[in-house]
Amino acid sequence: MVETESCSIQLSKVDWDDTSCLITYGPLPDKLLLSIQTVGLIEPPLLQGKQSGLFRIVCGSRRLAACKKIGLDSLTCRVLPNSTEHQRCLRLAIYDNVAQRTLNPVEKSLVLAKMAAYIKEPQLIDEFMPLLDLEPSITLFNRYLGLSDLGEVILDSLAAGILNERIAFALARQKEADRLAYLRLFQELPFSVSVQEEIVETVEEIARKENLTPKQVLTSKELRALRQTAKGPPRQRAQEVRKHLQVRRNPRLTARRERFAREARALALPSGVRLLPPPYFEGPKWILECAFERAEELANQLRRVAQMADLPEFQQIMEGKSDISPREVGN
Amino acid sequence: MTYHPEKLVIEEEIAGSPLVRNILAGLHGTPVQWVDRLSEDRKIETGKALEIVKFKGRFVKTCPGTRSYNCCGYQILNFGNQCSLGCSYCILQAYFPNPNLRLFANIDEMMQELGEHLRNSPKAVHRIGTGEFTDSLLLDHLTRLSELLVPFFAKQANAVLELKTKTAQVDLLEKLDHGGRTIVAWSLNPSEVINREEGAASSLRERLEAARRCQEWGYRLAFHFDPLLAYPKWREGYGEVVDRLFAAVDPDGIAWISLGTLRFMPSLKAAIRQNHPRTTILNEEFVPGLDGKLRYFRDLRVEMYTHLKNLLFEVGQDLCIYLCMESNDVWREALGFTPIEKGGLPAILDKQALGIIDCRSRIADLGFRNNDIR
Repeated sequence: MVETESCSIQLSKVDWDDTSCLITYGPLPDKLLLSIQTVGLIEPPLLQGKQSGLFRIVCGSRRLAACKKIGLDSLTCRVLPNSTEHQRCLRLAIYDNVAQRTLNPVEKSLVLAKMAAYIKEPQLIDEFMPLLDLEPSITLFNRYLGLSDLGEVILDSLAAGILNERIAFALARQKEADRLAYLRLFQELPFSVSVQEEIVETVEEIARKENLTPKQVLTSKELRALRQTAKGPPRQRAQEVRKHLQVRRNPRLTARRERFAREARALALPSGVRLLPPPYFEGPKWILECAFERAEELANQLRRVAQMADLPEFQQIMEGKSDISPREVGN
Repeated sequence: MTYHPEKLVIEEEIAGSPLVRNILAGLHGTPVQWVDRLSEDRKIETGKALEIVKFKGRFVKTCPGTRSYNCCGYQILNFGNQCSLGCSYCILQAYFPNPNLRLFANIDEMMQELGEHLRNSPKAVHRIGTGEFTDSLLLDHLTRLSELLVPFFAKQANAVLELKTKTAQVDLLEKLDHGGRTIVAWSLNPSEVINREEGAASSLRERLEAARRCQEWGYRLAFHFDPLLAYPKWREGYGEVVDRLFAAVDPDGIAWISLGTLRFMPSLKAAIRQNHPRTTILNEEFVPGLDGKLRYFRDLRVEMYTHLKNLLFEVGQDLCIYLCMESNDVWREALGFTPIEKGGLPAILDKQALGIIDCRSRIADLGFRNNDIR
C-alpha cells in the first residue's frame, strides 16, 4: 500500500517544469476536460513534496493540466512523503498509467528511457517490455530508446497515430529535415505502412548512391511534379511516386524490363499468348501463357509459337545483354 | 596484421588440451576467464574476446549450397566460428549472433571424425576446407593447427585440404610436409576495395607475397574473386589485381580460381548498415535470387564474370575457372558452357584437386580456343 497524505494543493505550487516522472505524451483529451467540468475530479492526482516547497507530479499530469485549463486554483491531491525514492515514484507513475490504458509509442519510449537510469538493460527488458505489450528483445528496446531523438512534430504524429512506430524507427536514423520531408509525403499521399517502409529504404539508398540527402530526393523536380499534379486520385499518385522511386533505384532491372516489353511487342506473338520472363530475369525458366477457347485455337497458337521459337529475335529476347553503360555501375 | 584478443574465455573442461596450451603460450599476459560452460548464443558480447570451448557437434559438414545454383560440392572442416577481420560484406556477422571468435579445443575428436569420414564416405575425392565459418589461417600462429592438418592430408590418397584466408599468416606452412595435398587459397579484391571494405585483412601486396612464398614451398594455390564488387572503376580495379596476381605467382601452380559476385541474405543488410555505416557495397541494385539471397542483376553478373574470365585467360588459358553459386544460364553466357556438360562442377574440381587430368587437355575438352575468349 502506498502511504500518502490527502491535502488541498494550490495549483501555483505544482512544479510544472519537473517532468522527471512524466510519461504521458499527447494532447489533452477533450473528454477529460468535459468530465471534470461536469462531475468534478474523481481520482485525485499523486504528487510528491520537494525541498523547494513545490510539488512534483507523479500521477495525474493530464488531470492537473485539465484543472488548470478550467481555471481551478486548488484541488485535493494525494501527496507522497519527500523521502520517497525517485525510482519508486517513477514506478508508481508507470504502473498507474499502464493499469488504466494502452500507452502510445512515445510514452513507451519515455518509460524505457526513464527507467534505464535506475535499472540494468536485462531487467528493464524482462520487466518493462512485457508490461508495455512489447516483445522483450534488445533490438526492439534500442529502437524504442532511439525514438527520443525524434523532433516534436514527428513525436506528435507518432503519439496521435498518424505515423506508425515502424516508420518512426526507420526515421530515427535520419536527420530532422529528412524526417519531416518523409512525414510530409506520407501525410500527402496514402501509402500502407509496409510501402512507407519500402519508400524510406529506397529513398535512403538512392540518396547514398547519388550523394544526396533524402530530402533532396523527395523534393526532386520529378517527384514534386508527381506529387503535386491534380491529375488522378491520391492512390494513383501514390503508386506513381512509388514506381518512380523503384525505377530510379533499379535502373538495370527497369531497362531490362523495358527492353523485354519492347522486344515482346515486336515479336507479335499470336493473340492470347503471353511470354513471361523469370522473376527479376533470375533463373532459366520462362513461361508461355496461352488463353484459348477451343483445342483448334490452342493448336494454332502453339504451331505459330513453335515457328517463332526458332527465330533469332525470340532467342535474343531471352538473352541478357546489358542496356546500361559501364559508367552507371556502382556509386 | 596480428590478432590480439582483449581476453580469453576458456571452458575448464578443455584446460589441458594442446590447443589451449598453444594459445596460452602465444598470448602470454592476456587475461583469462575460466568458465564452466559457454552458451552458443551470446548476443551481448563485444567481439573482443577469444573463446575456447569443447565442440559437441559435427566437425565435418557439407557446404551449405542450394539446389537452385551450381555448388562446388566442397566440404567443411569446422575448427572454429566467427572472424575478427571485419569485412563489411561478411555473412558471419549475421550468421553467428556471438561476435567473439570461438575455437574448438577437442582437436583429437575432430581429427578422429575427419579420419572416419575420409575412410567411410563413398565419395571418391574429398575437397575439404576450413575457411567457411572462420578464416583458415588468421589464428594459425596461435593454434598451430596447420602443423596437424597439412601432414595429415599429405597422407590421404583421396582428399585435399584448402586453406582459405585473407591474411599473410603462412610462416608455419614453410616446413610442413604437404605432399601436394594442401591448396592455399586467397580471397582477392582490388586494393581500393580491401582498404574500404575488408577491415583488418592483409593488403593485396601482403596476400600475393604470401602466395608467392607458398608456391616457392611447393604448395598449389587457389584464388577466390569472391565477392566481386561492382563499383565505378571495377574493370580497372580487377584488371590491376589480375596483373599483380600473375606478376607474383606462376599460373601453372594454380589449382582453381573462383568467381562469385556479392550476394547475401536480406537479413544481412541491416547488420551491414549498422556495423559498417560508411560502406558503399549496398549502393548497387540487387534482386532476390532463386535461393532468396540478394544478388546483382544477372546482366551485371554476366558482364563481371565475362570481364574477369577474359582477363584471366589472357594470362593463362590453362586456368581452371569456375563460378560460385551461379545458374546454368549465367555459366553459359559468361563462360560458354554449363558444368553439367562436363560432368558437373564437383567432378571438374575433384579432377583438378588431385591433378588427375592435364590442364591443357581439359581446357581443350571444355571447348575454349584463343579466339573464343579474347
